[in-house]
Amino acid sequence: MSLFWIGIRQLAESESMAMSKKVITRDEWEKKLNDVKIRKEDMNKLVMNFLVTEGYVEAAEKFRIESGTEPDIDLTTITERMAVKKAVQCGNVVDAIEKVNDLNPEILDTNPLLFFHLQQQRLIELIRNGKVEEALEFAQDELAPRGEENQSFLEELERTVALLAFEDVSNCPVGELLDMSQRHKTASEVNAAILTSQSHEKDPKLTSLLKMLIWAQNQLDKKAAYPRINDLSSAKLEDPSV
Amino acid sequence: MAKSLVKTERKQGFHFLFPLEIPLASATMPTSASVSAATSASRPSTDLVARLGSSDREVQLKALRDVKNQIIGNRTKKLTYIKLGAVPAVASVLSDAIDGSVCGSSDLLVQSAATLGSFACGVDAGVRAVLDAGALPYLVRLLSSSDEKVIDSGARSLKMVYQSKLAPKYDVLQKSNMEFLCSLLNSENENANGLGASIITNSCKTSAEQKALCDNGVLTKLIDFLDGSMIQREASLESLASIMNENGEVTSLFVEYERGQALGLLVKLTNERSARTRLLACECLIIISNVSSRYLKWKGIETKLISYLLELLEEPGHIGDEASFALSNYIEDKEDLQKLACDANAIDVLCTHLQNQLLQPKRFEGILLALANICSRLEICRAKLLHMQEFNSINDALHHDCADVRAAACICLRSVSRSVQNLSAGFFMNEKIVMPVLQLLHDPSLTVQLAALRAIGNIVVDFRTHKSRFMKWGGVKQLIQLSMSMNSAIRLNSLWALKNLTFEADNQCKERVFRELTASSLASLICDPEPCVQEQALALVRNLIDGSLDSIEYVFVEGSIILNAIGRHLERASTAECKVQGMYVLSNIASGSEIHKDSLMELLFQDRENGDPLYILNFLQSNDSHLRTASVWVIVNLTNPSCLGASGRTVKLRNAGVISQLKNMVNDPCLDVKLRVRTVLGQCMTFGE
Repeated sequence: MSLFWIGIRQLAESESMAMSKKVITRDEWEKKLNDVKIRKEDMNKLVMNFLVTEGYVEAAEKFRIESGTEPDIDLTTITERMAVKKAVQCGNVVDAIEKVNDLNPEILDTNPLLFFHLQQQRLIELIRNGKVEEALEFAQDELAPRGEENQSFLEELERTVALLAFEDVSNCPVGELLDMSQRHKTASEVNAAILTSQSHEKDPKLTSLLKMLIWAQNQLDKKAAYPRINDLSSAKLEDPSV
Repeated sequence: MAKSLVKTERKQGFHFLFPLEIPLASATMPTSASVSAATSASRPSTDLVARLGSSDREVQLKALRDVKNQIIGNRTKKLTYIKLGAVPAVASVLSDAIDGSVCGSSDLLVQSAATLGSFACGVDAGVRAVLDAGALPYLVRLLSSSDEKVIDSGARSLKMVYQSKLAPKYDVLQKSNMEFLCSLLNSENENANGLGASIITNSCKTSAEQKALCDNGVLTKLIDFLDGSMIQREASLESLASIMNENGEVTSLFVEYERGQALGLLVKLTNERSARTRLLACECLIIISNVSSRYLKWKGIETKLISYLLELLEEPGHIGDEASFALSNYIEDKEDLQKLACDANAIDVLCTHLQNQLLQPKRFEGILLALANICSRLEICRAKLLHMQEFNSINDALHHDCADVRAAACICLRSVSRSVQNLSAGFFMNEKIVMPVLQLLHDPSLTVQLAALRAIGNIVVDFRTHKSRFMKWGGVKQLIQLSMSMNSAIRLNSLWALKNLTFEADNQCKERVFRELTASSLASLICDPEPCVQEQALALVRNLIDGSLDSIEYVFVEGSIILNAIGRHLERASTAECKVQGMYVLSNIASGSEIHKDSLMELLFQDRENGDPLYILNFLQSNDSHLRTASVWVIVNLTNPSCLGASGRTVKLRNAGVISQLKNMVNDPCLDVKLRVRTVLGQCMTFGE
């Protein structure tokens, strides 16, 4: 990504200059920033990449029409992917599994960890709904054989089944399994696997770019005082503290 | 009330999941009708299989989807359904749908193909069932469909079949096959590309096949894919590894492609985000490096490759497992790379992984083998590993449930026990190490037995003082038992270990080995059908009789049964290695008493009536310098002037033409021979030569 390289180049320049900690005023900094030319198309691609990866299909469609940026993936596949993700988030795991299998049977057949997590989520949902006997039967029939295949699955499984041993699950050591965050975790795991199966990066490029920005600023902090971006959501330049 | 009852019930049965006997069916637990109905729907049943053959298309389709969704990711259910005969049933749905495809049965095509593909995914019995059901040609026919979804489904399922070793060999040398393969690679459909690559990976083995693929433009196509989508890239990397494997010609074509552009692309892929791509790229580079290491030197990535592989070890599942095997493959038998690996802290990194309590067998095996490879040549590496705390985990691995892990632990132990320094310090001769290895000599797995024998073979070299311990632990008895094995590799390695055990051993140790093994068994091992076993048996005798006059007597017991066996052996044509060991046995006998020396002379001159030259004369003229050396040593000992009968023996040897042969050898190209020949001639001078 060109943005990244620009950042690195600036970093390198200031590194070579600064023996002691150098102060760069806002004016100087902004002048430097203005000298950097970033192609509009590149920015658009970044945005499109974000929308597609995160699954904002309507926004992606609108953005495509407005900006003329072509998505790097068939937009209909996003709808299908989002349907899977949503099914997991609503606790409808069986439905999600069937949808994934329709999309590409290879995904769950070649990804035992993901398959196990989906089955585990299914067990969690059964327990959440108080279907105790069904949960036990399911754990025995479907999950126990996976546990035999893999020791770490076994531990996870024992942890999950432990939910049944407590009267008050909200107050038990494994209670977090019932949190919505567990659903989101599973959902994003499925999302990533589907993306990978479609030859697509599983994380948006924008996230890595932000990580690089933070890294670059941290490096630069050692050498210079400069207008820093502290609040990533507003990207506001803060005056250097001298 | 009911609820708390359920709770107690469950608490008691908490460990229930393993071993899988759930006390659920106990009479106190009422099962509601709705529950059993809900679960039975997702259980394998003959009923469901029967519905696959329904004449109602909707019923059929629903049954197909049901089976498919049950078996995907679930090995147990795949096996159950295979037993229930589901595979032929699904195959006939597919064939009927193809043959009768008039209007929109694409659902049946897609679902039946996907189901067959899942049966074939990761389960050998499934692949066999799909092949037996004759489904392969039907799946191939799907590829010519106009419906992209049907092509996807067919290509994916065929790919599953071709990813198995059981897949039928695809003969790329046949013209029509090659054309079909090229059409797959040239297809716009990525799954078809992937299938093409899997076929290459599965069926491209010989250099003729590699060359044919190259000539038909496959190499160029695969290079194009390196720049394509992730699926194309990964498919390409696997196939590139297959067509370059041990093939210098194809490899150099790849490396020199557009002035190194392809190689550059490949190197770049080692930095991809996808871990699988990185691993495949590394494996491909290893193939190239095994063809010629200069290619990687040229790119300056020899060391980087090691760190990439160590990083990949962090990945969960198959990728992390494979990384350790790839590392082994890269550094095996290459001292320079082993040094680089050691410098890159590979031993520490691998050992950190050994601390993981949940290590899967495959990963465990791979890490042990990688450690074994790093330590196979260099003392600094061994020293480092031996001083790590994790060395204990290697020892623990000898007790592992999985045979491959046990074997790998033995291989690792064998590698580190090459350390002369630690051997002489008696490091390995302790109960904690030796006892479990001795137990493995009776392992049900032959691979483990052999690996254990080889480890023992190194450990017993231990210099003198600690050998009695080994005997006390019953090691000798076990090795002798194994030397009678029906399996020649076991015989070979147990004799090897006994040979090492008796190397510079005291009389007590040698006596014990000889008594338990018996002269007649030794004599028959010298006549073993396998030359490599013969060689070790002779070498064992050589060590047994080395050093003391008493032990030389061993070859004379039971009517000189061993000596005669050796005599017959040397007269007959046998391998040069056997002859060398045999001559060293004779040389040891010749270092004994007058009686020993005279008996030996008798043996050498046996059957001379028929006028044949002495075999020792032939040996002295051999091209093998080791054999010449061993033979001259016999003469050196026989003509040693400090012995009474030396002059008589010298005369006899001179008359047989041995001394004049030696005179021809005063300038032998082998320094050792030259030196010993001069010794003999010097000794002869004392008798007035």
